[in-house]
Amino acid sequence: MAMETSDPLFPVRQTSLCLDIQGNKTDIIISSYEDHFLVIVTQIGSMGTILHARKEEGVSIDPTFNVAVVFGKRDEPMLAACARKLIEHIRYIFQFILPIDASLCICLLNCYQLLHPCYDFCYICSNSGSSKALVLSLGLRDHSVGTLKGIVSAVIEKIF
Amino acid sequence: MNSNGGVEIANQSMNELSIKEQEADESVQVTCFSEFSDDVTLHFQIIRLHKQIYAWIGCNSAKFGHLYAAAPTRPSNNVSVTSLIGGDSDNTGLGIARRLVLKTGLNIVLACNIPKNSPMLEAKAEKKLMEKLISLGYTMQKI
Repeated sequence: MAMETSDPLFPVRQTSLCLDIQGNKTDIIISSYEDHFLVIVTQIGSMGTILHARKEEGVSIDPTFNVAVVFGKRDEPMLAACARKLIEHIRYIFQFILPIDASLCICLLNCYQLLHPCYDFCYICSNSGSSKALVLSLGLRDHSVGTLKGIVSAVIEKIF
Repeated sequence: MNSNGGVEIANQSMNELSIKEQEADESVQVTCFSEFSDDVTLHFQIIRLHKQIYAWIGCNSAKFGHLYAAAPTRPSNNVSVTSLIGGDSDNTGLGIARRLVLKTGLNIVLACNIPKNSPMLEAKAEKKLMEKLISLGYTMQKI
Protein backbone atom coordinates (compact mmCIF):
# COMPACT_ATOMS: atom_id res chain seq x y z
CA MET A 1 0.00 0.00 0.00
CA ALA A 2 1.63 3.22 -1.15
CA MET A 3 0.54 6.79 -1.04
CA GLU A 4 1.87 10.20 -1.93
CA THR A 5 1.66 12.27 1.21
CA SER A 6 3.01 15.64 0.23
CA ASP A 7 1.09 18.83 -0.47
CA PRO A 8 1.69 19.82 -4.13
CA LEU A 9 3.04 23.16 -2.89
CA PHE A 10 5.47 21.59 -0.45
CA PRO A 11 8.94 21.45 -2.02
CA VAL A 12 9.73 17.92 -0.86
CA ARG A 13 7.96 15.06 -2.63
CA GLN A 14 7.43 11.97 -0.59
CA THR A 15 5.93 8.54 -0.88
CA SER A 16 5.03 6.19 1.93
CA LEU A 17 4.39 2.52 1.61
CA CYS A 18 3.81 -0.37 3.94
CA LEU A 19 4.46 -3.91 2.84
CA ASP A 20 5.39 -7.32 4.09
CA ILE A 21 8.98 -8.38 3.43
CA GLN A 22 9.98 -11.87 4.49
CA GLY A 23 7.14 -11.92 7.02
CA ASN A 24 8.01 -8.57 8.63
CA LYS A 25 5.82 -5.49 8.39
CA THR A 26 8.00 -2.88 6.70
CA ASP A 27 7.37 0.83 6.44
CA ILE A 28 9.20 2.68 3.67
CA ILE A 29 9.19 6.44 3.33
CA ILE A 30 10.92 8.03 0.32
CA SER A 31 11.52 11.77 0.34
CA SER A 32 12.97 13.68 -2.60
CA TYR A 33 14.91 16.80 -1.66
CA GLU A 34 16.69 19.13 -4.03
CA ASP A 35 20.03 17.39 -3.66
CA HIS A 36 19.26 14.16 -1.81
CA PHE A 37 16.94 11.25 -1.63
CA LEU A 38 16.04 10.12 1.87
CA VAL A 39 14.84 6.54 2.13
CA ILE A 40 13.66 5.37 5.55
CA VAL A 41 13.03 1.64 5.84
CA THR A 42 11.90 0.46 9.23
CA GLN A 43 10.64 -2.74 10.78
CA ILE A 44 11.54 -1.80 14.34
CA GLY A 45 10.01 1.65 14.75
CA SER A 46 13.25 3.57 14.47
CA MET A 47 15.66 4.61 11.73
CA GLY A 48 18.31 2.10 12.74
CA THR A 49 21.51 2.24 10.72
CA ILE A 50 21.95 5.32 8.54
CA LEU A 51 24.09 5.26 5.40
CA HIS A 52 25.19 8.06 3.10
CA ALA A 53 25.86 7.20 -0.52
CA ARG A 54 26.93 9.46 -3.36
CA LYS A 55 28.56 9.36 -6.75
CA GLU A 56 32.06 10.72 -6.79
CA GLU A 57 32.70 13.43 -9.33
CA GLY A 58 35.50 12.44 -11.64
CA VAL A 59 36.75 12.33 -15.20
CA SER A 60 36.58 8.57 -15.50
CA ILE A 61 33.84 7.06 -17.64
CA ASP A 62 33.11 4.44 -15.03
CA PRO A 63 31.55 6.10 -12.00
CA THR A 64 32.84 5.72 -8.48
CA PHE A 65 30.44 5.55 -5.58
CA ASN A 66 31.13 6.35 -1.98
CA VAL A 67 29.01 4.54 0.58
CA ALA A 68 29.54 5.22 4.26
CA VAL A 69 27.75 4.22 7.45
CA VAL A 70 27.21 7.43 9.40
CA PHE A 71 25.20 5.95 12.27
CA GLY A 72 24.69 2.45 13.60
CA LYS A 73 26.03 -0.91 12.48
CA ARG A 74 29.33 -0.74 10.66
CA ASP A 75 29.90 -4.47 10.46
CA GLU A 76 27.01 -5.38 8.18
CA PRO A 77 28.30 -5.30 4.59
CA MET A 78 24.88 -6.16 3.16
CA LEU A 79 23.53 -2.83 4.35
CA ALA A 80 26.23 -1.01 2.41
CA ALA A 81 25.53 -3.23 -0.58
CA CYS A 82 21.89 -2.20 -0.41
CA ALA A 83 22.85 1.48 -0.45
CA ARG A 84 25.30 0.85 -3.28
CA LYS A 85 22.59 -0.76 -5.38
CA LEU A 86 20.23 2.12 -4.83
CA ILE A 87 22.75 4.89 -5.55
CA GLU A 88 23.75 3.09 -8.72
CA HIS A 89 20.15 3.04 -9.82
CA ILE A 90 19.78 6.74 -9.04
CA ARG A 91 22.86 7.49 -11.11
CA TYR A 92 21.53 5.36 -13.99
CA ILE A 93 18.27 7.28 -14.05
CA PHE A 94 19.97 10.66 -13.99
CA GLN A 95 22.66 9.87 -16.53
CA PHE A 96 20.78 7.86 -19.10
CA ILE A 97 17.11 8.59 -18.75
CA LEU A 98 16.66 12.23 -17.75
CA PRO A 99 19.20 14.21 -19.85
CA ILE A 100 16.91 15.22 -22.70
CA ASP A 101 16.62 18.46 -24.61
CA ALA A 102 14.51 21.02 -22.79
CA SER A 103 12.24 21.49 -25.77
CA LEU A 104 11.38 17.82 -25.74
CA CYS A 105 10.49 18.04 -22.06
CA ILE A 106 7.33 19.96 -22.87
CA CYS A 107 6.08 17.26 -25.21
CA LEU A 108 7.01 14.41 -22.94
CA LEU A 109 6.05 16.00 -19.63
CA ASN A 110 2.46 14.79 -19.69
CA CYS A 111 3.57 11.28 -20.40
CA TYR A 112 6.18 11.39 -17.62
CA GLN A 113 3.68 12.75 -15.14
CA LEU A 114 1.20 10.03 -15.96
CA LEU A 115 3.82 7.36 -15.39
CA HIS A 116 5.72 9.01 -12.56
CA PRO A 117 3.72 11.52 -10.50
CA CYS A 118 6.87 12.58 -8.67
CA TYR A 119 8.34 14.29 -11.75
CA ASP A 120 8.57 18.03 -11.83
CA PHE A 121 9.36 19.86 -15.08
CA CYS A 122 11.85 22.30 -13.61
CA TYR A 123 13.49 19.52 -11.66
CA ILE A 124 14.11 17.50 -14.81
CA CYS A 125 15.78 20.36 -16.67
CA SER A 126 17.88 21.62 -13.79
CA ASN A 127 19.18 18.25 -12.72
CA SER A 128 19.90 16.50 -16.00
CA GLY A 129 23.34 15.00 -15.97
CA SER A 130 23.86 15.24 -12.23
CA SER A 131 22.66 12.82 -9.62
CA LYS A 132 21.43 13.17 -6.11
CA ALA A 133 23.04 11.66 -3.10
CA LEU A 134 21.22 9.11 -1.00
CA VAL A 135 20.60 8.95 2.72
CA LEU A 136 19.35 5.47 3.52
CA SER A 137 18.17 4.37 6.93
CA LEU A 138 17.61 0.68 7.60
CA GLY A 139 15.94 -0.32 10.84
CA LEU A 140 15.50 -4.04 10.19
CA ARG A 141 14.72 -7.16 12.20
CA ASP A 142 16.94 -9.23 9.95
CA HIS A 143 19.65 -8.39 7.50
CA SER A 144 19.19 -11.38 5.24
CA VAL A 145 19.75 -11.19 1.51
CA GLY A 146 16.07 -11.83 0.87
CA THR A 147 14.99 -8.91 3.01
CA LEU A 148 17.44 -6.50 1.43
CA LYS A 149 16.54 -7.62 -2.07
CA GLY A 150 12.89 -7.03 -1.26
CA ILE A 151 13.70 -3.55 0.04
CA VAL A 152 15.76 -2.66 -3.03
CA SER A 153 12.99 -3.82 -5.35
CA ALA A 154 10.32 -1.90 -3.50
CA VAL A 155 12.35 1.31 -3.37
CA ILE A 156 13.45 1.17 -7.02
CA GLU A 157 9.85 0.71 -8.05
CA LYS A 158 8.75 3.78 -6.12
CA ILE A 159 11.70 6.12 -6.25
CA PHE A 160 10.95 7.27 -9.79
CA MET B 1 -23.98 -17.86 31.94
CA ASN B 2 -25.17 -14.77 30.07
CA SER B 3 -23.13 -12.43 32.27
CA ASN B 4 -20.01 -14.54 31.72
CA GLY B 5 -20.62 -14.42 27.98
CA GLY B 6 -21.05 -10.66 28.21
CA VAL B 7 -17.81 -10.29 30.17
CA GLU B 8 -15.97 -12.36 27.59
CA ILE B 9 -17.34 -10.24 24.77
CA ALA B 10 -16.35 -7.09 26.63
CA ASN B 11 -12.82 -8.43 27.24
CA GLN B 12 -12.48 -9.42 23.62
CA SER B 13 -13.60 -5.97 22.49
CA MET B 14 -11.13 -4.33 24.82
CA ASN B 15 -8.30 -6.51 23.53
CA GLU B 16 -9.21 -5.64 19.95
CA LEU B 17 -9.27 -1.95 20.81
CA SER B 18 -5.87 -2.09 22.51
CA ILE B 19 -4.39 -3.94 19.51
CA LYS B 20 -5.77 -1.28 17.18
CA GLU B 21 -4.37 1.46 19.39
CA GLN B 22 -0.99 -0.23 19.38
CA GLU B 23 -1.04 -0.58 15.60
CA ALA B 24 -2.02 3.05 15.21
CA ASP B 25 0.69 4.03 17.63
CA GLU B 26 3.26 2.03 15.67
CA SER B 27 2.23 3.41 12.27
CA VAL B 28 4.36 5.99 10.54
CA GLN B 29 2.93 9.51 10.52
CA VAL B 30 4.19 12.22 8.18
CA THR B 31 3.46 15.91 8.70
CA CYS B 32 4.58 18.68 6.36
CA PHE B 33 3.97 22.39 6.65
CA SER B 34 5.52 25.72 5.73
CA GLU B 35 5.78 29.04 7.53
CA PHE B 36 6.06 32.27 5.60
CA SER B 37 7.38 35.39 7.30
CA ASP B 38 9.36 38.42 6.14
CA ASP B 39 11.48 37.24 3.25
CA VAL B 40 11.99 33.77 4.59
CA THR B 41 10.07 30.60 4.00
CA LEU B 42 10.63 27.80 6.47
CA HIS B 43 9.60 24.30 5.47
CA PHE B 44 9.10 21.57 8.04
CA GLN B 45 8.80 17.85 7.57
CA ILE B 46 8.16 15.58 10.54
CA ILE B 47 8.20 11.80 10.23
CA ARG B 48 7.09 10.07 13.39
CA LEU B 49 8.25 6.52 13.87
CA HIS B 50 7.21 4.47 16.86
CA LYS B 51 10.40 5.10 18.83
CA GLN B 52 12.02 7.99 17.02
CA ILE B 53 11.25 11.20 15.19
CA TYR B 54 12.89 12.46 12.03
CA ALA B 55 12.52 16.15 11.23
CA TRP B 56 13.75 18.30 8.37
CA ILE B 57 13.89 22.08 8.39
CA GLY B 58 14.31 23.82 5.05
CA CYS B 59 15.07 27.51 4.72
CA ASN B 60 13.95 28.91 1.35
CA SER B 61 15.00 25.73 -0.42
CA ALA B 62 14.55 21.99 -0.46
CA LYS B 63 18.21 21.19 0.06
CA PHE B 64 18.73 18.43 2.58
CA GLY B 65 21.33 20.28 4.63
CA HIS B 66 23.25 18.75 7.50
CA LEU B 67 22.10 15.76 9.50
CA TYR B 68 22.23 15.40 13.28
CA ALA B 69 21.15 12.79 15.79
CA ALA B 70 20.25 13.54 19.41
CA ALA B 71 18.85 11.49 22.25
CA PRO B 72 18.41 11.62 26.01
CA THR B 73 21.23 9.97 27.91
CA ARG B 74 20.38 7.96 30.98
CA PRO B 75 20.83 7.90 33.95
CA SER B 76 21.91 11.53 34.05
CA ASN B 77 19.65 14.21 32.60
CA ASN B 78 21.92 14.92 29.70
CA VAL B 79 21.43 15.02 25.97
CA SER B 80 23.84 13.37 23.59
CA VAL B 81 24.04 14.92 20.15
CA THR B 82 26.25 14.35 17.14
CA SER B 83 26.48 15.50 13.57
CA LEU B 84 26.17 12.70 11.02
CA ILE B 85 26.45 14.49 7.69
CA GLY B 86 28.09 17.88 7.36
CA GLY B 87 28.00 20.30 10.26
CA ASP B 88 31.71 20.46 11.04
CA SER B 89 32.02 24.06 12.13
CA ASP B 90 28.41 24.99 11.57
CA ASN B 91 26.41 24.08 14.67
CA THR B 92 23.06 25.55 13.68
CA GLY B 93 21.15 22.31 13.59
CA LEU B 94 23.18 20.81 16.39
CA GLY B 95 21.80 23.33 18.88
CA ILE B 96 18.26 22.88 17.63
CA ALA B 97 18.44 19.10 17.92
CA ARG B 98 19.89 19.29 21.39
CA ARG B 99 17.26 21.68 22.70
CA LEU B 100 14.43 19.72 21.10
CA VAL B 101 15.49 16.60 22.94
CA LEU B 102 16.00 18.56 26.15
CA LYS B 103 12.49 19.93 26.04
CA THR B 104 10.61 16.97 24.62
CA GLY B 105 12.50 13.90 25.76
CA LEU B 106 12.28 12.46 22.25
CA ASN B 107 14.88 10.56 20.27
CA ILE B 108 15.41 12.86 17.26
CA VAL B 109 17.21 12.79 13.93
CA LEU B 110 17.24 16.29 12.46
CA ALA B 111 18.18 17.53 9.00
CA CYS B 112 18.52 21.27 8.64
CA ASN B 113 19.72 23.68 5.95
CA ILE B 114 19.37 26.92 7.90
CA PRO B 115 22.39 29.08 7.07
CA LYS B 116 24.92 29.62 9.80
CA ASN B 117 25.11 32.82 11.78
CA SER B 118 21.32 33.24 11.70
CA PRO B 119 20.32 33.04 15.36
CA MET B 120 16.92 34.66 14.87
CA LEU B 121 16.03 32.28 12.09
CA GLU B 122 17.27 29.36 14.10
CA ALA B 123 15.17 30.38 17.10
CA LYS B 124 12.08 30.88 14.94
CA ALA B 125 12.45 27.49 13.29
CA GLU B 126 13.03 25.76 16.60
CA LYS B 127 10.00 27.42 18.13
CA LYS B 128 7.73 26.46 15.23
CA LEU B 129 8.94 22.89 15.25
CA MET B 130 8.52 22.61 18.99
CA GLU B 131 4.98 23.98 18.81
CA LYS B 132 4.10 21.47 16.13
CA LEU B 133 5.56 18.53 18.02
CA ILE B 134 3.54 19.53 21.08
CA SER B 135 0.34 20.06 19.10
CA LEU B 136 0.71 16.66 17.45
CA GLY B 137 1.13 15.06 20.86
CA TYR B 138 4.54 13.59 20.09
CA THR B 139 6.35 14.90 23.15
CA MET B 140 7.30 12.73 26.06
CA GLN B 141 7.86 13.57 29.70
CA LYS B 142 10.59 16.16 29.97
CA ILE B 143 13.89 14.83 31.22
